[in-house]
Amino acid sequence: MAVVKPLVTGIVYALIGFAIGAGISFGITSLTGEDATEPLIVLGYVFAVIGWLMGVGMWKVWGAEWFGKSTSHDPTGGWERYLRFNTDHKVIGVQYITALAVVFLLGGLLAMLLRWELAGAAQTVFTNNTYNTTMSLHGIMMIAVAVAAIMGGFSNFVLPLIIGAEDVAFPRVNAMSFWIVPPVVVLLLLSPLFGGFDTGWTAYPPLATQAPIGALLFELAFLTFGISSILGGLNFIATIVTQRAPGMTWGRLPIFAWSVLAASVISLTATQWVAYGLLMIIFERIFNMVFFSPPGGNALLYEHVFWFYSHPAVYIMILPAFGAELEIISHFARKPIFAYRWVVRAFALIVFLSFIVWAHHLFTSGMGENLHGPFMILTELISIPTGVVFLSALGTLWRSKIRLKVPLLFALGVIFNFAIGGLTGIFLADVATDIALQDTYFVVAHFHYTIMGGEIFAIFAAGYYWFPKITGRMYNETLGRIHFALMFILYNITFLVMFIPGTIGMNRRVATYPPEFEFLNLIVSIAAFGLGLAFLPWVYNMLNSWIRGEKAPDNPWHAKTLEWQTTSPPPLENFDEFPVVTGDPYGYGDETVVHATFEQSTKPVSAEGDQVNASSN
Amino acid sequence: MTAGAIWVLLTIVGELAFLSLDIFGDAASEQGTFIDEAFILLVVLGIPVFTLVITIIGYVVLKFRAKPGKLEDAEPVRTHRKWVGFWLVWSTILCLAVIVHPGYTGLLELRSTANDEPDLTVNVTGRRWQWVYEYEGRDVKLLMKDSMLVLPNDSLIRFNITSEDQDVIHSFWIPAFRMKIDAVPGLMTTMDVNTTEIGHFNDDVNFRVQCAELCGLDHSLMFTRIEVVEPEEFEKWIADQAA
Repeated sequence: MAVVKPLVTGIVYALIGFAIGAGISFGITSLTGEDATEPLIVLGYVFAVIGWLMGVGMWKVWGAEWFGKSTSHDPTGGWERYLRFNTDHKVIGVQYITALAVVFLLGGLLAMLLRWELAGAAQTVFTNNTYNTTMSLHGIMMIAVAVAAIMGGFSNFVLPLIIGAEDVAFPRVNAMSFWIVPPVVVLLLLSPLFGGFDTGWTAYPPLATQAPIGALLFELAFLTFGISSILGGLNFIATIVTQRAPGMTWGRLPIFAWSVLAASVISLTATQWVAYGLLMIIFERIFNMVFFSPPGGNALLYEHVFWFYSHPAVYIMILPAFGAELEIISHFARKPIFAYRWVVRAFALIVFLSFIVWAHHLFTSGMGENLHGPFMILTELISIPTGVVFLSALGTLWRSKIRLKVPLLFALGVIFNFAIGGLTGIFLADVATDIALQDTYFVVAHFHYTIMGGEIFAIFAAGYYWFPKITGRMYNETLGRIHFALMFILYNITFLVMFIPGTIGMNRRVATYPPEFEFLNLIVSIAAFGLGLAFLPWVYNMLNSWIRGEKAPDNPWHAKTLEWQTTSPPPLENFDEFPVVTGDPYGYGDETVVHATFEQSTKPVSAEGDQVNASSN
Repeated sequence: MTAGAIWVLLTIVGELAFLSLDIFGDAASEQGTFIDEAFILLVVLGIPVFTLVITIIGYVVLKFRAKPGKLEDAEPVRTHRKWVGFWLVWSTILCLAVIVHPGYTGLLELRSTANDEPDLTVNVTGRRWQWVYEYEGRDVKLLMKDSMLVLPNDSLIRFNITSEDQDVIHSFWIPAFRMKIDAVPGLMTTMDVNTTEIGHFNDDVNFRVQCAELCGLDHSLMFTRIEVVEPEEFEKWIADQAA
């Protein structure tokens, strides 16, 4: 029981918090005579989140000191350390990865339900409303996975290690950004019970302001998730700027750290826009304020605000994926990253351009036609820095000494898939072709190629690559290969075929469609079901290897970056001996480049006042 | 050299395979014909890029392998001025090329009718989950549920589109014309189409108005059947309707 005590306390405090917030709201609305339901939910939720955070351990670790009381924190322990507010970045990384793996599987099951419905033209499984809610849930859950699995999960675990730091710059903020994610999941799963939300994850008003209470829960969930993302971005930037090991100059920084820095800049700044947009929709709903709904409001305004975040957001997803991909290619090809400096420049240029291309989502929205040309040109320019990432990946592989392990297989899959994803993006950046293809299945296939084929494949590459470091055990190589082969083939059948109905006249976000498109959809559905099954060997491999796998050596891949120069899994503060960086981490085939030397510990005890120096687990 | 030959071969095969396919039937409008040609051009330009990438992946995986069970480092080539320059120049040329055509030329094409007097103006209003059509100056009003939208061939048709004030955003899409634009409450949008083919929903499902922006419950069902007929026939039909 002691193991789940923080979680139980969190839930109890959340309920108390909800009662307080709802009570205050009820008191106010009964005085003013307004409709009470939605304000009650919003205020209740705000207090519930605070209660949840404090109950799950934030009070003990952090909150008490705001009131002059003493705090205590012991980040060590067995698996129960994952079930409470814990500031160790490695624990937080694992919390994110496991939580999002569950969300990923749930979102995948929803996708299979959707494909079941779409296997035939007529309505079979769903009513129109349940279809729309299922589709919207699938969307937002996978967006959450795409943003947070790589940033919250792998970046959290790997980033401090790879730059030779003990932890992130703000460990308690880091723990908080994880623990506000469970309320997001709860809200999303509750929303179908409150009428669902048939708005898609884009949630354009006026639809979003008129939809049932389920849509309000969605807005709150998205907003909460945004706060987590903003804090995460802030933390990573501060970490990379201030916590690098001695000698870790910018020119020696591993490419993965560069990519996380680039993504964090977007995460910190762009997310605030969508957060305001969501807040304004909530205000429209609970205060009857007018921002986006005519008369008085401007429906197009929200589309601008939304995409001003949501286009850069795809680079929050894909940039760390590129970083992980290049990292893995270099270590398994035993060759330095080709044109490293150009890649860093490309990342910077992508970040810059990502902020000024959003309106390519609005070519058919009715915005001023004078905007079409500039946004088309800016969007297409992104192909140049993106091409540099391809140049680097292919240049690194050329004349290398490849060891074809599972992480590299997935990294090669990223190149293949993203080539298709990138090239089909040009059709949607071009105004003429976009006017035909916007809102069709061509778009659905395209973004699944970039996000799933690019980023999710990179996440699996990262998952297999860092599995020995995270768990201290080796995964099963054969099962990993089976997983890759099944996923790669079935994924490509599913989404390559999906381009065709979009091209010949099938729009997206529909439960029924003209029977002419039935045959193609049936193929997509069958392949999609196979794709769903392809994850079974992965689930089995991960669970089984984590429990019973062969013990992993400290550096099973003989890689040169710092995370491999400590134990598997690493001790509480990452390094028993502190690294001093003397060269870049890609010195393969060059004896003169030594990434780091290790000195005996001379550092003082952690400023956090932790009593425990024992290695975790 | 081998890799180069494979690339050329794959590219030729890819191009021939694609060009031998007729993925979408003829568009029924001038704008749509331009869009289809732009689509085909982008695929034709994309194929060599894609085959280049997969040729290199396939080639390196087969050719540049470490000996089994051995850990060998490769020759540490960190960058290569000429190849980087070559890549940057070519990717920039390709990018600028598609910006000019079909990018810029497409913008001109889509705007080419803006100052012309249309042969027919149809005012369209979206409301959940149906379309209302008014033939301007013809005193004919159609509701989606009970009717077929009849349009004249060889004509410039201008659709003025909006959505009812208390309603939500819809999108007015006619797949046969390859054209769409959103119907936004509080905003009037315009879509011009030069029809070039006669056609009927029963023969080609793309002769339909389909809502393309998620608008809630019955979004999938928000469509109207279209028939494009010769102008004389259209005049006859509209006279019948008005009567």
